Amino acid sequence: MIGPQADHSARIALLPPLPPGKGRGEGKPCGTAAPGCVPPAGGRSTLRPSVERSRGRLCHITLPHPNPLREGEGETSASWKARTTILALVALLLFLPGCVSPAQQEAQEAVTSYFMGDYLRSVELLKPLAEKTDENFVLNNDRLGSASLAAEDYATAESALLRSYEVINSVGVNNGGRSLGAALVSENIKVWKGEPYERAMVNFYLGVIYYSHHDYGNARGAFENALFKLRDYGEGQEKNDQYKEVESNFVLGYLMLAKSYQRLGRADLAQKNFDRVVQLRPDFASLAAASTNEQSNLLLIVDMGYGPRKTTNGDGTFVGFRPTPQEAGPIPLPSVVVDGRLQELHNANLPPVDLVAMAQDRQWEDIDTIRAIKSVAGTALVAAGIGNAAFNHHSDPAVTFGLIAGGLLLKATAQADTRQWEMLPRTVFILPLHVAPAKHDVILDFPAWPGVRQQWPALDAPETGDNAYYLRLGQYDVRPMMRPSRPPPPQGVY
Amino acid sequence: MTRIGRGLAIPLLPWLLAGCTSAVQSGTNTFLDSVDLQQMTDKMARSIVADPRVQQAIAKDGALKVVVQPVENQLTAEILPRGQAEAFTARVRALLSQRNPNQFVWILNRDEFYDLRGKELEVPLGPSPDAINPQYALTAVFSSLTRETSQGRSDFYVCSYQLSNLQTRNVLWSDSYKVKKSAVKGFLD
Repeated sequence: MIGPQADHSARIALLPPLPPGKGRGEGKPCGTAAPGCVPPAGGRSTLRPSVERSRGRLCHITLPHPNPLREGEGETSASWKARTTILALVALLLFLPGCVSPAQQEAQEAVTSYFMGDYLRSVELLKPLAEKTDENFVLNNDRLGSASLAAEDYATAESALLRSYEVINSVGVNNGGRSLGAALVSENIKVWKGEPYERAMVNFYLGVIYYSHHDYGNARGAFENALFKLRDYGEGQEKNDQYKEVESNFVLGYLMLAKSYQRLGRADLAQKNFDRVVQLRPDFASLAAASTNEQSNLLLIVDMGYGPRKTTNGDGTFVGFRPTPQEAGPIPLPSVVVDGRLQELHNANLPPVDLVAMAQDRQWEDIDTIRAIKSVAGTALVAAGIGNAAFNHHSDPAVTFGLIAGGLLLKATAQADTRQWEMLPRTVFILPLHVAPAKHDVILDFPAWPGVRQQWPALDAPETGDNAYYLRLGQYDVRPMMRPSRPPPPQGVY
Repeated sequence: MTRIGRGLAIPLLPWLLAGCTSAVQSGTNTFLDSVDLQQMTDKMARSIVADPRVQQAIAKDGALKVVVQPVENQLTAEILPRGQAEAFTARVRALLSQRNPNQFVWILNRDEFYDLRGKELEVPLGPSPDAINPQYALTAVFSSLTRETSQGRSDFYVCSYQLSNLQTRNVLWSDSYKVKKSAVKGFLD
């Protein structure tokens, strides 16, 4: 607590207030003969801190007097201004992370609109933000990709996710000032590229777009790249690399890669990837059966729920993800009704990805070490400052102040970057259906979650090949879709 | 004041430096870029006209009627968007149109023709693909060997071009462009 007192002395209370009558002389300057306070020894100058004790307990530190009419006016005034400036800077650094710019406000509004199922509004808000090549360039393009996909604006989604893809696959994006700034001042200065699971999902959605366009060559490339991004979770010399564990939570990538190869006429490579799915997750044998996928002519790709939230510890230094899979509970399984008839899915409705589980595999990075060191050093400096004031009767107030200010400065700059792609689902269901070639009304239902259902009219199932439809099942957006989901125009046919 | 100035400069310096580059200025990746596009298509355009079999066919049949197809993407873990896929063959066509206008008749592929016509651009589209039967097709297939780890990524590209006879399926000319690229991940990558 720092502030002017009745006699213009700044004071720092080092102990919680004692109850009245316990001899601290609250509200009264201890430099004066307040009852219960020991007066400063030896008539020390008011420019020195006076650590007063009351019945053996620490009372107050009296900081130098700001009044320029008192002794040592010239130098006192200058040093007071300098300290005030530093204090203001510290305060600025403390408060800056809490400031929200208009662009961030718009982004938050867009995210809220998305959660509420107003995808068009979300797209409208995000489009101008996604053009800005600032530190949120990738994040806003990812958000725009999600919102556009849900709004069935595949062209906007593709261009947004491609912009993100370019930066994600680049190295040295943060070279120079941004790296320095992120290390020294605030991690939010760095160009956000996302966690490995977020990078994988950018590639996955690009793959979905190309697959829906029947551009299977690019779909294959995108799904392969999604799997490559998981390698950022780390590889070791040992046979069982850690990223392979992560892969078991992302059989989604192998499954769609296999389906792309199948549509490209590469049955051998398709089978290899279907086999990999079963190897990682034996319970997916039905979904990864080559014949089931070959015969399917209507593919539903359904985003369900929401991914994990990035959280920090008490002082904002260490990052984690909540909820954990245990906290989030099991993922409900869908049932599909086509034209009023329940489809037999034969266990093909299992969730091939759990982003809540994947996020738990976050790797410790260099920037985390820097933040941790800054936080610990900051705490140590503050403690040293307090200790200096408390136990060193001849301490220089400037040293005390400098230690505390430096410590607070370090703590303020050790805040973790909590930016994240909020729109990601918890899981993506891949539902390959074989229905008569015609337009069909499809209802997706979750028996374990009564009331959560979605209806899509006029999904077109072709005679040969398959039409893929991306569907976003939101928490608050369970109204029936009033307009038919249109299949994207085929591409890659010459 | 000097002390205050220094005090201000130290915390503000990173912020000032941070403003130097945007999200798309500093980064590099292993993807094919505009330099590759230029070098590759220059090489292919030179190679086609210098090929004795191509010159023989021109001498025998007159200007070759060629349809140009976008690049087929066989790259490992890489997307080649439609615009780029078209650019890598379209520039070969453009170079040959400029330098050897009498040796080739270029026919837009069906999708591109109708796509451009749909945009109602006031540019000459040339003959309709339905009106003229092309004799040859200029095609390209890009493939790569890729290795990506948590430390970095490297790609070895092989970009193969072919001019093939659509009736006989014979390859009249082929050439390739090879390049290796690598990128090492660093701090904050």
